[in-house]
Formats: sequence, C-alpha cells, structure tokens
Amino acid sequence: MRKFSLDSGVSRRRFLQGAAGTGLAATAGCLGGGGGGGDDRVPMDVTEWPPEDISSSLNMWNWYDDWAEWAIDAFGDEYDVEVSNSGFSSPDQWYSQLEAGNEDIDNIAATTNWVERSIENDFLHEIPVDVMPAWDNITDRIKEASSYRQDGSVYAVPEALVLYPLTYNDEYFDSAPDSWGVLWDDEHEGELCMWDNATVSCQIAALYTGQDPIQPDDFDEIEEVLIQQKPLLRTYWGDYQQGMSLFVNEDVVAGPLTMGRTYTARFSEGAPVHYTAPQEGAMYTSDLFVIPRGAPNPIASLQFTNWASQTENAAQLFETMGYQPAVDISDELSEEDAEFTNWPDDWNLVFSETLSDEVRSRYDEIWTAVQAA
Amino acid sequence: MAGRSDAGSAIGDRIDAITAYFRSRPRLRTLVVAGPPYAVLVLFFAIPLLVMLVVSFQTSEIGGPWTLSNYTNFLTSETYLTVVWQTLVISLQVTAIIAVVGYALAYSIVRFSRRTTLLLLLVILPFWTSYIIRMYAWINILQSDGVLDSTLNLFGLPAVGLLYSQPAVLIGFTYVWLPLAILPFYASLTNLDPDLIEASKDLGAGPIRTFTSVTLPMTKNGVITGLILTFIPTFGSFITPRLLGGTNNIMIGMVIENQFKSAFNWPFGAAIGMVISVVVVALLILATRFGGGLFGQRSQGGAEA
Repeated sequence: MRKFSLDSGVSRRRFLQGAAGTGLAATAGCLGGGGGGGDDRVPMDVTEWPPEDISSSLNMWNWYDDWAEWAIDAFGDEYDVEVSNSGFSSPDQWYSQLEAGNEDIDNIAATTNWVERSIENDFLHEIPVDVMPAWDNITDRIKEASSYRQDGSVYAVPEALVLYPLTYNDEYFDSAPDSWGVLWDDEHEGELCMWDNATVSCQIAALYTGQDPIQPDDFDEIEEVLIQQKPLLRTYWGDYQQGMSLFVNEDVVAGPLTMGRTYTARFSEGAPVHYTAPQEGAMYTSDLFVIPRGAPNPIASLQFTNWASQTENAAQLFETMGYQPAVDISDELSEEDAEFTNWPDDWNLVFSETLSDEVRSRYDEIWTAVQAA
Repeated sequence: MAGRSDAGSAIGDRIDAITAYFRSRPRLRTLVVAGPPYAVLVLFFAIPLLVMLVVSFQTSEIGGPWTLSNYTNFLTSETYLTVVWQTLVISLQVTAIIAVVGYALAYSIVRFSRRTTLLLLLVILPFWTSYIIRMYAWINILQSDGVLDSTLNLFGLPAVGLLYSQPAVLIGFTYVWLPLAILPFYASLTNLDPDLIEASKDLGAGPIRTFTSVTLPMTKNGVITGLILTFIPTFGSFITPRLLGGTNNIMIGMVIENQFKSAFNWPFGAAIGMVISVVVVALLILATRFGGGLFGQRSQGGAEA
C-alpha cells in the first residue's frame, strides 16, 4: 500500500501548486456568478427598441425600498428576469463600490450630485435615450433640473424629484407657515426640529437670511442664526425614520422633512402633517437611474430603466413612497393624492446644485460649530 | 470491520506523516500557526491604518499634493477641540457609570447567585440584536408618552420625557456597553479567592475596608480591562448620540462620519481619525500600566492569581 507522504510522494512544489490552484478556483467561485450569464454588450450598442436577448438577472441598488419591492415582481414577471435589490441609506455605500471597481451592480437610483461625481470619474455607461420610448415621458421640468449630460452624452435617466420642504402639523397651524422664520419663532419653543445635515440646515438658514443657498455671501450670519435657533429645538434628527417619528408622535410641529416621509406620515401613519415651500424658497433635487460601468447585465438594466419610466410604473413610486416621479402621473392619481403632490407654480423652488468645495467645507465647519456651541 | 480498521489506520498514518513533516520544519510550522492571524492583522488593520495615514496628509482631493493642513486645522480649531472635550467628558461619564453598575452586577452574580450561567446569558443577550434596533427600542422607551413615561404615570409620578437629552445618551451607551465590561469583571471576581475576604473580615476589617483593600485591588486587571473595552467604543460612537441625543450631544465620531459622508473631505476625516487613534492608544497604554490585562502582562491581581 502506498502511504501518503509529503516527504516523498508529494513534492513541496506540487503541494503549493495544488493549494494555489484550489485558492484560485475558490476565489473565482466567490467573485464570479454575479449576473446570470452576464452580457458583453454596453447600452450604446442598443440601436433599436426593444433590445434583444436581455440577460436573466438584474441587480439593482434602489433606495425607494417599497417601490423596489413592487418592481422586483412586476418587472421580473414581465421580462422573466430575476431581480434583486440592495437598499441603501447613504449614496456613499454604492459610490465606494464603483470606486473599488464595480462587478455586481446593474442599476442605481442615484442623487444628482452623486451622478455628477460619477460622470466626472467615468463610472457610468452612456445611455441611448434616443432609442428609449419612455424617455419622452420624462417631464421637461425634471430634464432641465437634473445634471446627467456631459459633452452631449446622456448618462442618467431621471427617476424622481425630491423636495426638501417645510413639514408642519396642520392641526397645530391654521394655515401653512409662509416663512422659514417659523423655525425661529419662540412661540413654538421645544416643538421644532432641524435635520442633522450640514448642507440642508445651512441652506435653510441661508434662505431664511435672504442669501443664495448655493453661494452664500455671509457665512457668519448663517452660523449666528443657527446658534440662535438651538434653544428652540427639540432635536436634530439624523435618520429619516426618526425624523418622521417626531411628526407622527407629535413631538414637533414644524421642521424639515422629505416629501416622501411626509406622505408616509400622513397617509400610512395617519399623522396630521402637510408640507409647504416657504416664500423664501425650498431646495429640491432629483434621483436618477444610472447604469454603472462593470454592470454584469447592462442591457437588462437599460430595459428596466425604460420600464420604470413608463407612466403606470412611475406612478407606483408615488403610490408606494410618496415621491414625485420624473414622469407626469397626474392622470393616474386620486384627487387626494393629486392635491398632495401638486406643487403650486408660485412656489419658489431652488435646485440643489452641487456645492463648491469651499461652500461645502464652510457649511460643514458651521454645522460642527453650531452643534458644539 | 476490517475495512473500517484499514481506513482508520490509513488516516492515522496520514496525520502522522503531516505531523512529522511539520515537526521537521520548525519555520514552516511557525508560519502555518502564526501566519493567518498576522495576515489578518496586516490586511485588515495595519494596511488600512497605513492608507488612512497617507490620506490624512493629502489635500481635500485624494491623490493630490501633500499637506499638514488637515492636522493643523484640527489641532488649532477651538470648535473641534471643544467637540473632543465633550466626547471625552461623555466617555468618562459612561465609563464611570458602567464601572459602578457593571461591578455591582458582576459581584452579585459571583457572590450571591446560583444561576450564574443563566444570568450571564441574560447579560450578553442584547448582543444578539442589532445595535440600531436596540437604539430604536430605547427611543420607544424614552420618548414622550413612551414606556418610561407611561410607567411613571401609572404610579402617579410625572412624565420625564428623557429622549433627546444627555441622560438618554448616557442610558443608551450604558445599555450597549455594559455586557462588554461585565464579562471581564466577572472573570476577575470568579478567580478571587473568597478566603481572602473572610481573612480580611477575621482581621477586623469592615465591608468597605475589605472591598477597598482586598476585593478591588485583587480584581484590578479585570476592572481596567472592562473600562478600556467601554471607553474606547464610546469615544468613537456616533449612532447613539445622533438617535438619542438632543442638540448638544455632538461627539467626535459624528464629525468624522460627516467628513466621509457629507463633507467629502476624506483627508480631514482621516487626520481626525489618526489623532483620535493616537489619543486612544495613549490612554490604552496608560491603562495597561495601571494593570489592565489587554496585553497579557502579569501582575498580582485577580485573573492571574
């Protein structure tokens, strides 16, 4: 009988070769298999619609969790594609994956500022919007507001408009507050909140003091009013759920909250809340679908982007999450929903352009100083 | 049966061969045993720390020119130093509370309880639940008209509405880190010889004298280890103060988080992280000089007794 012996039967070289081979095989097994066969084409290879032979998998990162849950089944059933979604709470989570070299993500719902950063760093595929039928559904308002082009090329398709309004308790107030000054009114001391977000809070202070929130000229005044405001506040909320709970539990009567969370608080939680854009203005931005380079299923991702921009599918974004989709869905809404989502033409809405490094840095310093004061 | 015996013999022979192979190669043996843990340390601790150090000397753009400004901006800013001071104060308060509560709990488990295993299981039970969920549980307990206020009202006491205040932050931290401290406290108290306490009493010492002269000195290593395990994570925390704290509970961990997630100034965040790491390591070394057992040095106290 032959005995196993590392001394005689198996040389060290063969032992190491075997180990290396096993390691490589294991590594390949761990890293591969991200896309149901994958696709070597890129979106710009699609010159006619619909694209042929889309792959059977789609891995998306979409932070509209409830809508994504609905879309997984709806899109999956319609196109026989296995869809998965990784929800995220902060865009840096997917952005760091793109920085590290994407091999997994096919489709992302990305905020405008992060889209700009991604385009600058060549992280995104160009998208052939001219051949996508649903591109025409995107409203001109959001097309003009979003940043998704570079040198004439399109790198993203708008998904939703995101407003940063003043949310208020509509039983406490007889009518919608018409000024951000309500957050500095000592009549409501202890019943106000602010968002623990340097940019949002400093921009509210900039609007309140009559300055340009994108390029303010008096940072000291912004810091001063935010420090003045502190004793009036219940807290700075740092998490969307926490922010919404403050209004649902009626711990606060006014403060900044996203439109979607206001919708959820009102219609799902039954809280007496509504939102408004004060006369000084309110910031808004947009979320867009992007297809990152390295996506294993880029054509399925393109198909999904077009599908999500179809009116009835976009309407689900409002029905499930309360955010205003990039598509005109007014015909799909109930009267109550239409009233809630309608933004009057006289609202002064300021698009949240990407801040310069200097302004962003100053806002961060101010916010730290305010919290430490 | 004979087949099984042959197979067992073959396996035994192989094990003997492998053992002999490594016995005759002491360097390879050391590499195989010590290599994986060192590799983990280098890959997941040393290299990231080195990357953080390199990034901290760059301008706001990674890959840009070198600069010392991140360090000078941090160390000369009254705002940031105030935040560090506030963080230090909160961390010390939490550590002090945990020292008292944790030691009392560990002592009662060791000295007066029969169901030790069950009690220890209850102590570590919170670790089975996500940190964030535990914080949300505390929001429900501490909020206005929450569990705490309702209970107080039940006994005719006024509501306190602790949420969004410094006491809420202290409660949250104490709850989260208490198990980390209780385990080393318990280990050192278990190894304390009860005869020493009896001897102290026989020699005329009262309970307080016995505690300060015998119990505490003999369990010093476990106490300091527990306090280190409490102080360090508290110092770097940002979730608890953000969820439970009000407008005056900023901690340095929140500032670092902001640099990476919203200010996009990674080099500045890395510089703050490096300074804080140096401070924490210095405190760690200081603590171990007083007898903490993290580095495994011997002293006359509890666990090594």
